[in-house]
Amino acid sequence: MQLELTLNGKTERREIAPHHTLLDVLRDDFNLKGTKGYCHSGVCGACTVLLDGKPISACIMLASQTQGKSITTVEGLAEGENLHPVQRAFVENFGLQCGYCTPGMLLLTVALLEENPEPSKEEIVDYLGGNICRCTGYANILKSVQAAAALVKEASL
Amino acid sequence: MYLADMDMPGMAHAKVLRSPFPHARIVSIDASAARALPGVVCVLTRDEVLADSTIDPYYGYVYRDVPIVAIDKVRHEGDIVAVVVAEDEETAEDALELIDVEYDELASVMDIDAAMAKGAIQVHEVFKPIAPELRPVEGTNICHHSTLAKGDIEQGFREADHIFEDSYSAPAVQHCALELHGCIASVGDDEITVWTNCQSPFPLRGELQRMFNKPARVIVPYVGGGFGSKSRDRLEAVVVAAAKLAGRPVRLLLTQEETFQTFIRPALTCTVRTGVKSDGTIVARHHRFAVDVGAYSISGARSANNTLKVATGPYRIPHVLVECDAVYTNKPPSAPYRGLPTTQHTMAYETQLDRIANELGLDPIELRMKNLLVEGDVHVTGDLLRSVHAKDCLEKVSSSLGPQLKGEAVASNGTIRGRGFSCSIKYTITPSEPTLATEAGVELQEDGLFEIRIGTVNMGQGVDTMAAAIGAEAVGVPIESVRILHSDTALVPQDHGTTASRATFHTGNAVLDAGTKLRAELLSTASDLLEEDEVRLELSAAGVAVAGSSGRSVSFVDIARHRGGSLLAKGECWVGGVYTDESGKEYPIASTFWTFGSVGAEVEVSRETGEIRVLRIAAAANVGKAVNPEQTKAQLEGGVTFDLGPSLFERLVWGDGGQLMTTTLMDYPLPTLHTMPEFHVDLLEFPYDQGPYGANGVGEMGGVMVPAAIINAVYDATGVLFHEVPLTPETVLAGLEATGA
Ligand code: FES
Ligand code: FES
Repeated sequence: MQLELTLNGKTERREIAPHHTLLDVLRDDFNLKGTKGYCHSGVCGACTVLLDGKPISACIMLASQTQGKSITTVEGLAEGENLHPVQRAFVENFGLQCGYCTPGMLLLTVALLEENPEPSKEEIVDYLGGNICRCTGYANILKSVQAAAALVKEASL
Repeated sequence: MYLADMDMPGMAHAKVLRSPFPHARIVSIDASAARALPGVVCVLTRDEVLADSTIDPYYGYVYRDVPIVAIDKVRHEGDIVAVVVAEDEETAEDALELIDVEYDELASVMDIDAAMAKGAIQVHEVFKPIAPELRPVEGTNICHHSTLAKGDIEQGFREADHIFEDSYSAPAVQHCALELHGCIASVGDDEITVWTNCQSPFPLRGELQRMFNKPARVIVPYVGGGFGSKSRDRLEAVVVAAAKLAGRPVRLLLTQEETFQTFIRPALTCTVRTGVKSDGTIVARHHRFAVDVGAYSISGARSANNTLKVATGPYRIPHVLVECDAVYTNKPPSAPYRGLPTTQHTMAYETQLDRIANELGLDPIELRMKNLLVEGDVHVTGDLLRSVHAKDCLEKVSSSLGPQLKGEAVASNGTIRGRGFSCSIKYTITPSEPTLATEAGVELQEDGLFEIRIGTVNMGQGVDTMAAAIGAEAVGVPIESVRILHSDTALVPQDHGTTASRATFHTGNAVLDAGTKLRAELLSTASDLLEEDEVRLELSAAGVAVAGSSGRSVSFVDIARHRGGSLLAKGECWVGGVYTDESGKEYPIASTFWTFGSVGAEVEVSRETGEIRVLRIAAAANVGKAVNPEQTKAQLEGGVTFDLGPSLFERLVWGDGGQLMTTTLMDYPLPTLHTMPEFHVDLLEFPYDQGPYGANGVGEMGGVMVPAAIINAVYDATGVLFHEVPLTPETVLAGLEATGA
């Protein structure tokens, strides 16, 4: 089938297999390898992308369901060489080690701060609590999200 | 770029047919219908492997017990029976269903007790040990039995006023590195090339060369977490054989369910018998343990053997006996797991110590202080311990948690709080031969920058930053002037594998050695060019200059040009054999370095639900020198949260038929942000004389003391001492009920 969607701000069209997941289509048909998969069953959050600004698990959504919608992947965050403030916050606060969970964590953080620019610790834990990271122990992820909130606020002033 | 992000021209895709039974003889395999499916390139079964006389069908470094694909029988559910190579993954998957395998089911042994029982069916009828230290017990499932002794254990127990004996167990769990295992292989006429996310590219290369009789090159892209599950290989030989048959590059990526059938952390049981004086002085300890290595001893027997050295803990004990059995079962093969089995040993001896303290009316911290090893002590292995400071670590964690307030024990919401502590000692993998030295290279290149070449695999533990920092410092240039090249066996010098917290020490020392040599070369070349004595020369980012204000200098670009385009210095690190102290006395080196640390935990237990919340964790370790403090702390925190899983809820469960029941994250939960405690992490820096700038390895120290500290904290809160993990709500409730606590 013919899929048409807004991908990282640009209109894109591709011939895709209707039974393929959004995760497969992003990685294989659009060659956007930034979105990762682990459990492929909607539990770990590694494949988180934004659908019309809201976080979803790309591994359990069919690409055909995104017809006419807008998808943001990690590739859509930086502008050229300029990292998104959320990315900067993660780098500066050791919010990643192996980096495999990072794309999902970044997009969740972007969505969180969009909804709630000044989240409390508990709100962060609730919002990001579904995404698994095996390396960091989460302390630096929490720190990164808090730093990101400050950076995003600064950028919007 | 991770492995799954790579593509090769002409690449085909593989899927694996796995055994549905834990133990069965293969009667016949018919893959003709699969071969006939359009889009299928080839199918690899035992017939193709046995028909190729250039291939040795078995591999393994410790035992040569792993077939490329099952030959005579399957030994665990998920064992590899056949491989389909097709134009795409979906076709390969479809073809799997067309393969007809007839099995003759055998009895299976699913745990240590069953496997060690008299007359138990043998998982392997013949033992094929490779490593010289292995001691299989013929006719049984025990693939390795070994002991370590010091003093006279019987005498020790005679001297004791009290003797305590406890048994413990910890189940199998999985590492759950988010990047799944995978491999791409291409077999040319004269070389095999493998891209894999395996942590030990050099040993793997050697094994592939031996099996396939051809030079091999192993390239490891960036790795998305390993925690031991990627420290040894299981897939590479399979994919190489498939690629050879297919005549084109082949890629295999496992699913999360398949990783659970590929490598797991082994189950462990142990019994600790400790003799103490009435004042708490430990005089004897007998520690017996058995490790379930699974169906193949890819590394299980060796890791079990290695931990003999630390099984009795960081204590001065005059009479010690440690006994170890590594046991084959019909579970998936085991792999190292962030410090295993040190974690389980620590859980056993540290929780028993709290029982001893309680029954003798002593304070648990004072009891530890009385017995902890100190600098200058000789360890059970005979090693002379130099940088210990275990007591400082314990003091640190106890002060970070602050004084325990009276009355804090009972929180207002019906939950009870408690605190527990644990201490541990960790060894590192120490190659016995200088030929297994870790090597590194530092090269001045044409553009005036320095390339550091290391064999260590980068998987987020910060090895690049560490090597860059040490290399830049050794040469005497800013860190911006260096770049790193790693993990391609054709381009970098050998390393023994990125395991057991080795990287900072071994790779760091090798880089330091190479950098120091290169610096000497740079100074002598500059001295010739500038006609100036070396002692008057200084290095900077740009080159070498004469000290003072003369302004005379030569750039690195010119030095490189003068030396024929580039200038390479090689360094190495091997610490083994014997250590000679100042007086000339010699000591054996069983571990290149020993790491000491301590953890304190504060928990809250609900009497109603049995639920445990870990509120705070304090951790301290003697790191020698923190080359990169933030990264080291992050690694320790990572280790702590990681081990909260197996402490509180992670456990792999097999059903009666030997089938794994916990196959997905739905029934196998992992720690999340909700599980995370408040951290107090401290790095103590007491330099280690043989480490680069005094550093030693600490990567795996975070988690090993966590289960022990949590059990002790629950003991403190409830008066119930658990002898197993995970402390699920059901386990806790049952324990509280049984003791009426
Ligand atoms: S891969 Fe999609 S949620 Fe785990
Ligand atoms: S950084 Fe490795 S999983 Fe999060």
